[in-house]
Formats: sequence, structure tokens, C-alpha cells
Amino acid sequence: MFLALREMKHAKLRYLLIGLIMVLISWLVLFVTGLANGLSSDNASSIQNMNADYLILQKDSDNQVNRSEITKDLAKEAGKYTDASDTEKLGLQMSTVLKGETSKKLDVTFFAVDQEGFLAPKITEGKAIDNNDKNGIVANASLKNEGLRLGDKIKDQISGKVFTIKGFTEGQSFSHTPVVFVNLEEWGNIQSSVGQEETTVNAIALKATDKTAAKIEKEMKDVNVLTVDESLKGIPGYSQEQSSLLMMIVFLFIISAIVLAVFFYVITLQKINQFGVLKAIGAKTSYLSINIVSQVTFLTILSLIVSVSITYGLSFILPAGMPFVLTPSVVLICSGLFLVVSLGGAALSLYRVAKVDAIDAIGRAV
Amino acid sequence: MDYKLILEDISKVYGDGDTSIKVLDRVSLKVEAGELVAVVGPSGSGKSTFLSIAGALLSPTKGRIVIADKEINKLSEKKLNRVRMESIGFVFQSANLIPYLTVKEQLLLIPKLAGKHTKDDEEKADDLLKRLGLYHRADHYPESLSGGEKQRVAIARAWMNDPEIILADEPTASLDSERGRSVVHMLADEVKLRSKAAIMVTHDKRMLDLCDRVVYIEDGKLTEISNQE
Repeated sequence: MFLALREMKHAKLRYLLIGLIMVLISWLVLFVTGLANGLSSDNASSIQNMNADYLILQKDSDNQVNRSEITKDLAKEAGKYTDASDTEKLGLQMSTVLKGETSKKLDVTFFAVDQEGFLAPKITEGKAIDNNDKNGIVANASLKNEGLRLGDKIKDQISGKVFTIKGFTEGQSFSHTPVVFVNLEEWGNIQSSVGQEETTVNAIALKATDKTAAKIEKEMKDVNVLTVDESLKGIPGYSQEQSSLLMMIVFLFIISAIVLAVFFYVITLQKINQFGVLKAIGAKTSYLSINIVSQVTFLTILSLIVSVSITYGLSFILPAGMPFVLTPSVVLICSGLFLVVSLGGAALSLYRVAKVDAIDAIGRAV
Repeated sequence: MDYKLILEDISKVYGDGDTSIKVLDRVSLKVEAGELVAVVGPSGSGKSTFLSIAGALLSPTKGRIVIADKEINKLSEKKLNRVRMESIGFVFQSANLIPYLTVKEQLLLIPKLAGKHTKDDEEKADDLLKRLGLYHRADHYPESLSGGEKQRVAIARAWMNDPEIILADEPTASLDSERGRSVVHMLADEVKLRSKAAIMVTHDKRMLDLCDRVVYIEDGKLTEISNQE
């Protein structure tokens, strides 16, 4: 550290510049990661947060929950393989509603669940609805940003039915739209009002072990049993969105590795003669390597501290509707990865230093 | 006799078979305590190779080297590193100071590299700087030193590990004659004072009268020049 710190102090501008690049890249990594997480939860939090292990979908639904159609008979059959209280019907319908008496349109997704079962939403404001409620709904809190309050009404454009918001819940969205919970009876009414005779749901949520799930998949002919994570891919746009963001993150990591590798390699090349002198006066390769590694580590940690502060500072001034979620554990993983990538970038320089021969110092003018 | 450095029948051959080049051919040299020996010769004559071998930077193809009563030609790379650190001081062609260390830190780096930095080292560094007239420059960086000062710092650095022998590779190459002489003078005085030994490779004929002996290398063969004047 004797040499490492003094050198950085002496060549402030040089190390400040590379520090700045690292701050920018790591900040971008954190920001895009936060955005990816935010979008993912904005897209599918109702499925991600679902209190279930598996979803049973219709076989021909391409594993897309909104395409799937489960009849009453199928639902009943599924109940036979496990405790009936471990299965729960789930109907969902993406729709457009009118806000109160106005003509302002909002996109929502109706979720029909047993209001006493394990899929029932957690109420954060107002009251829960029961299974006999005629027009009550529990809405995701993000609808408050649209000006809706407890007791306000919305009108479904497809069925023409009017609903009253009785309660709010949180962390419930599907395909970037807020989720609105109704009971199964209302669900039936919505379906019959558009001329559907037999009420169907989209999926059956299942709390079960792997074994039971495998058994159901084998025994029941017309269904697929997916884990909740697998079913996320069936949400329109979900995997495309996530994979393009993931690609950006991966590229940022690769770019930062290359930028750092080039920077430290050029600095190392510049100092080859100096390393020769140091080796001639007794410095070991390990001493010089520790020197470089501690410089990289120091620089990376300092840059990460700055960029994490910027990222969190920025997340406070982001507009409330902006999907941005960054948990401390994700920040830690990203930072750790960034440190590993930086050290990887320094490996090239270490190799070069190891190859410097003390004899280079003799018979050579600089 | 108290020899600080003994080289016996040293040969160095590069390459093998038909393309081999003999850079040093059965070279022998003994250096006593308190002696400053100058090595002269045209470029390409093997001076640098000679200095590298004497400085334990390069192993000879054949021959025997004894530094401070220790035979080093059979030692491993790692042990050679140790010999360099403990018994040999180097002064390079253009000072080769570390640009981001102050004059005093240049000196303190040596015990730090050896992993045994103590309070005594600070004193030792101060003493050396005082004796070489550099004490007022202790907190300066190399960039603000003159060529002569840099070379004196390099000499002070070479003395930091209390070496038995100092090897100087054209220490006056970048200096004018007056400054060059004062640097060599200082080197000779220190060698006498501490009764250590020094070998100096030089092109500069004007410095030779300050040396105790002059040896001449040409085509890998070493000949003693009987003392001048």
C-alpha cells in the first residue's frame, strides 16, 4: 500500500478520470438493474407476490395465463389430487375502465379470487370485500395516482358494470396495469354479461410439493403445471423486457472490464522500466502485484460508494410512477460483481508485471 | 585479503549450437574492500552483461561468483533476489527514481521492500541525506531535482540496505563533467569510508582518475589496465 497510495496521490488526475468512468459505468449498471427490477415488479408483481407455488394452466394456452381457460370440471378435478384448500381458482381479464362519471380511461386487470382463500389481497387501506359483495372491489394502490379514492366508482367498458372501490392493496400489478380484485360471483356476472354461458377461470393456483405437482401434471390430461416463476414468462412482454435489460447490464459489465483492463495495462506498460528498477532493488513480483490489486480495489470501492450514493439519491427524486426497485441485497451483489470484474481487468497487467525482468533496468537510458 | 566480490572464469553464452554468441569469455575480477573499480569498453563489448552477472541479475553460463564470502552462482532465483536486497546496491544510468515518492521516501522504500521498516531506518535515511548534501531536499519529488541531485539520491538509495558492493551503470551519463565528477567523487569517498566495494561501468574517460583501478572489456575479454598516470 506504501507505493499504491502515494502513486495515486501523485497522479490524481489520471486516477480521478478512471474513477469517474467507473462511477458512471457502475451507476448505469445500478440504475438499469433498478429499472429492470422495477419494470419486472410493475409488470408482474401480482404473480411474483402470489402466495402459491404453482399455476395450473390449460394445455393449449402456450403457458400464457391470459389465454388459458379452465372449466369448472377441470378445477374440480385438480382439487382431487391434493387438499382442496390448497387449490384456488384465479380468473383474470385485462380491461379498460372509465373513471367515475368522467370519460377518462384507465387500463386495469381484473383478478377474480376467493376473497377468503389464500389468494385474497392484503388490505392496506379501507375494507376487504366478501364473497357475496355485488359491486365491491379492492384496487391496487397505484390507482390513487390516477386520483381514485375509497368509495370512488369505476365502470368496466366491456361489461358495462360499475364497481365501487372498498379497499386498497399494494404490490399488485399485471402486465404494467394495476390489478383490481373482484370476488368469483362478480366474475361470473361479468362473464355472463358478455354472453358467456359457463363461467371459466384462467388458472388454478396451487400450494403443493414438487411431487404433487408432478403427479397432477401426469394425471390430468388437459393442463400444464408451471411454477410461479415459469408462468412469469407467459405474461405479455415480460421476458422480452427483462432479457433486453439483462443484455444491457451484461454488456455494461463487459465494457467496464475492458475499459479497466486497457487503462491499467497502459499504465503498467508505461511503468515497465520502473518495475524493472523496483525488481532490481529487491521488490518481488508479489509485492508489485499486491500494489496493483490494491489500487484497483481501492479505486473500485471508492467509485462504488459514490455511485451507490448517487443512485439512492436519485431514486428519491424520481417521479413516483417510475418503476424503480433496488434492494440492498441487489446493490451488494452488483457491487461485488463489479469488484470481481475490475480485478479481472487488472489480471492482464499482473501478467505483464510478472514478466518484467530486473535485468531490463541495466544498460538502458530512459 | 578481504575481497568483497570475486568473479572467477565467468563465461556467458547466449543461444546454442552454431548460433551461440559468447558475450563474456572467462572473465575474472577480484574487488577488495574500499576499492572503486571502473569498467570501460566500447558498446556491445559485454559491459552490461558483466554488470548484470556481478549484480546477481543474470546467471553466468560458467564460472563462480562470490559476494561477501557467499557463493551465489548456484542459488535459486528467489535467493538471488534476497542477495540483491541484502548485499548489493544499484545505481542506474539515469537515476531511475520512482516519480511519485519524495527523496526521503525513495530511501525508505528499500527497508520497506525488505519488509523490515523500523525507526532506525528513518535516522539512517536522514544521515545519508545529510552526508550527501540532500537533506534540504528530503521532501521534494524527483521532478524538481537537478540531474546531479537525482543521481546523488540514487546513490543514497543504493546505500540504504548497507550493501557490501555498489554497482553503478554509467551513473554520469546524463550529467555534465563537473557534476559527474562530484557524483563519482562522492561514490569513491563513501566506498572508502565504509570499506565496501564498488564497480562502475562508464564511457566517461574523465572520471577514471577517481577510480582505484580500471578494467577494460572488449569482445567479452577483460584486461586490467595498469594504473593510469
